[in-house]
Amino acid sequence: MTASVLALAAVAVSLQVSVTNFINFAYGDFMTFGAYIAWTVAEHGVNFFLAVLIGGIATGVLGVVSNFVIFRPFMRRRVRPVTLLIAGVGLSFIVQNGMTIIWGTEPVRFNVTLGNALHIGPLVLTPGDLVTIGAAVALLVLLHAMLTYTKFGKSLRATSNNVDLAKACGIDSDRVISITWFIAGILTAVAGVGLVLQESTLDPTTGFSELFVIFGAVILGGIGRPYGAMLGALVVGILTEVSGSYVDSAYKTSIAFGFVIVLLLFRPQGLFSAAGKTS
Amino acid sequence: MTEALAAGGDVLLDIREVQFAYGGVKAVDGASFSVDRGTVTGLIGPNGAGKSTLIEILSGTLSPDRGSILFQGVDTRGWGPPRVAQMGIARTFQTARVLPRLTVLENVLVAAQGQEGENPLKAMFWRRSWAQQEDANREEAKSLLNWLGLSDHLEKPAGTLSGGQRRLMEISRALLAHPKLLLLDEPTAGVFPETSRLIATRIREIVAQGVTILLIAHNMEFLSTVADDVVVMAEGKVLTRGPLDSVRQHEDVIAAYLGVGGRSLTTHPITGA
Amino acid sequence: MLFFFTDLLALGCIVSIMVVGLNLQYGYTGLLNFAFYMYVAIGAYIAGVTTMGPPTLPGITYIFGWTLPWYVGLLLGGVVAAAAGAVVFAFTVRRLRSDYLAIVTVSAAFIVYNVINSFIPLFDGATGLFNVPPITGNLNVSTEQYSLIVLLVAAILLAVFVFISMRIFRSPFGRLLRAIREDETVTSAFGHASWRPQLWVFVIGCFMAGIAGGLFIFYITAWSPSAFLPLESFFLLAALIIGGSGNYWGAVFGAFVVIEGLAELSRYAPTFGSQADAGAIRAMIIGIALILVLRYRPEGLFPERWLKWYRTTASAARKRVLPGRQSP
Repeated sequence: MTASVLALAAVAVSLQVSVTNFINFAYGDFMTFGAYIAWTVAEHGVNFFLAVLIGGIATGVLGVVSNFVIFRPFMRRRVRPVTLLIAGVGLSFIVQNGMTIIWGTEPVRFNVTLGNALHIGPLVLTPGDLVTIGAAVALLVLLHAMLTYTKFGKSLRATSNNVDLAKACGIDSDRVISITWFIAGILTAVAGVGLVLQESTLDPTTGFSELFVIFGAVILGGIGRPYGAMLGALVVGILTEVSGSYVDSAYKTSIAFGFVIVLLLFRPQGLFSAAGKTS
Repeated sequence: MTEALAAGGDVLLDIREVQFAYGGVKAVDGASFSVDRGTVTGLIGPNGAGKSTLIEILSGTLSPDRGSILFQGVDTRGWGPPRVAQMGIARTFQTARVLPRLTVLENVLVAAQGQEGENPLKAMFWRRSWAQQEDANREEAKSLLNWLGLSDHLEKPAGTLSGGQRRLMEISRALLAHPKLLLLDEPTAGVFPETSRLIATRIREIVAQGVTILLIAHNMEFLSTVADDVVVMAEGKVLTRGPLDSVRQHEDVIAAYLGVGGRSLTTHPITGA
Repeated sequence: MLFFFTDLLALGCIVSIMVVGLNLQYGYTGLLNFAFYMYVAIGAYIAGVTTMGPPTLPGITYIFGWTLPWYVGLLLGGVVAAAAGAVVFAFTVRRLRSDYLAIVTVSAAFIVYNVINSFIPLFDGATGLFNVPPITGNLNVSTEQYSLIVLLVAAILLAVFVFISMRIFRSPFGRLLRAIREDETVTSAFGHASWRPQLWVFVIGCFMAGIAGGLFIFYITAWSPSAFLPLESFFLLAALIIGGSGNYWGAVFGAFVVIEGLAELSRYAPTFGSQADAGAIRAMIIGIALILVLRYRPEGLFPERWLKWYRTTASAARKRVLPGRQSP
């Protein structure tokens, strides 16, 4: 279902935003990248789930490298958020077109058979859906566990709350940020694969097309709040699916976008009024 | 609590029972005082007393929960900054705000009121309707900047100014607006002593021209040279009001600064006793 | 061979008009309009459907079809685009900060794209419009000659728009816009509500976009949704930033070199991959250039400060004692 893909992606974005305080415009392309890597590896006969894992690691690396080469030098100079947004646009150009050069513009499919579809009442869940939901739930639970119980998780929460204060407490924020990018990368890749399973084809623009719906979910949940993002994704996902049964499916994405717009116009702080967390 | 009315004269600004709460904390809690035309009134008090918040309220940036702000008899409560500014109130900021990529001269020119050239159609198609006014504004801005010692910096990007220079520029800018009331938020914070003296001199000259000034300051030496009167605030309320020397000796004021009840220590920073 | 140059210059002028318009919005005032190309598309479509006759061919539908002369269609395109800009502005810019605004405007652009693509009766959906009557009407002109004519028209309009940009820059209005860009708290503290100047500049910029769109459709005589993917807005923005945000010459440079120059090169240079690859490489180069510029020369190749903001010669010629407040 859309919601689980959206949830993964939204959580990844939220996580990264909470620590670095800007929105990575190239995010959709990271999703596509993860999916492509997984697909390429799977085409060479590797087990599907392993391929997804490899795709995740690759995307994590991409995230860390991007941060190191592009975003961190900007952040060091304390530039305005708009500049980082535009840098993200530049990164998006690079990644998306790099993928076009490597993999071409022809759409590809995942050649994976995962079993039969499941019918629950009016909903039809394809195996792809089930795998995605399962993965999403598993990863999010793991993430929650990590955030709550591990030392790193605490460092992350501290950094997301107040970078300078965290540094003053001896937390190496650079390391935290790098690792966060890596984790976000893994989630992103899985979301990307889930998206492809849902859309059934993959081309260089797949992830980018979903970018703004993801942003919508993130903002709905409150920027920088991963748990809010999960709920936001759920709401947007369900709303899109439900409205899809009333309106021509050609307009489905427009409805999602329209919802995002209405949301931002009338309640930009999200569903849950966050105490003091502004991006 | 003593009454905080000014001693006779023409009242320009009258603040009554203004309250403002921020996240449950009452930053300003029933402040009342008035300011006479043509005077320099200092606003002092310990940190957190609500002084800057009050300035934000007076300039229209914040809207008080309760109370009224009578400027020349008109209640400006709930007005936004543009409308307040158009009434004739100009201000400087606690941390000097410059427009970094504009030149110093351009920075000051932004404040000129009633510029015909700001009308887009006239700007694009009818230069003659505003060129003369623009020349006049430009000359006046230049002379103000010279008057405040910034003549070497007119065409430089304002981002290159030092902190003290920025404060001087802010004053020039506020003056170009020909205000009736000038709100200065810590005009000498972090500046060299000679700059501070220049500002003090200029303030007296500004007042001689008929401008009324309300300023926040912590430096007692500076205040003693410029202020006719001070209003003391603490914890959002007005404690007392009067000439600086007598206010310094006031028991409540000492207590507010020290945080203890009415006891004075040797070589107290305020009274010097 | 001549066609190569007239084509390059004509397209360069058309794109320059777009970037000059975007410069007013983003360069002067700091309004980030990620949906700029939407207004180009509106201008193109309106110019198209008002100058074409009613739909005659089977399977082609679109609104209007008034067979108006080209200059009227062109003007209408600009006006409708400007009106659309005003509407969008009224709903969004007043309420949102820049990164949210960016998201909302792109979403809106996508919705418009989606609707035009899917709702056939409007502008003939994905197929789009073609056989748009050229500027020369029924005259028999070669491609080269037509290219030259369009170049002439575009160049004149570009000159007009650059002149307007200059006038704005050298006026108090332009100064106010730039001041709003730097710090709205200050402008507001001195009596200026931000939204009115912003609205003006947004509308003027969208008008220019619409005109450029009209010129585009008259040049190519066809238009469809594939021509205005939301991506194009980003290219324009990148071109502006690389060329010099805030400087109208930088805008022209960005348009010619970044957009047209690279596009022509990728079109005519020997391709070792496919056509799509050439386009992809071009986009990558733009992306890299954008990041490099942001990092090492954020004002762009032609910085704003190179523009003289006041005509001192004029004031020197008018030396007279002016009435008013004497300096203390």
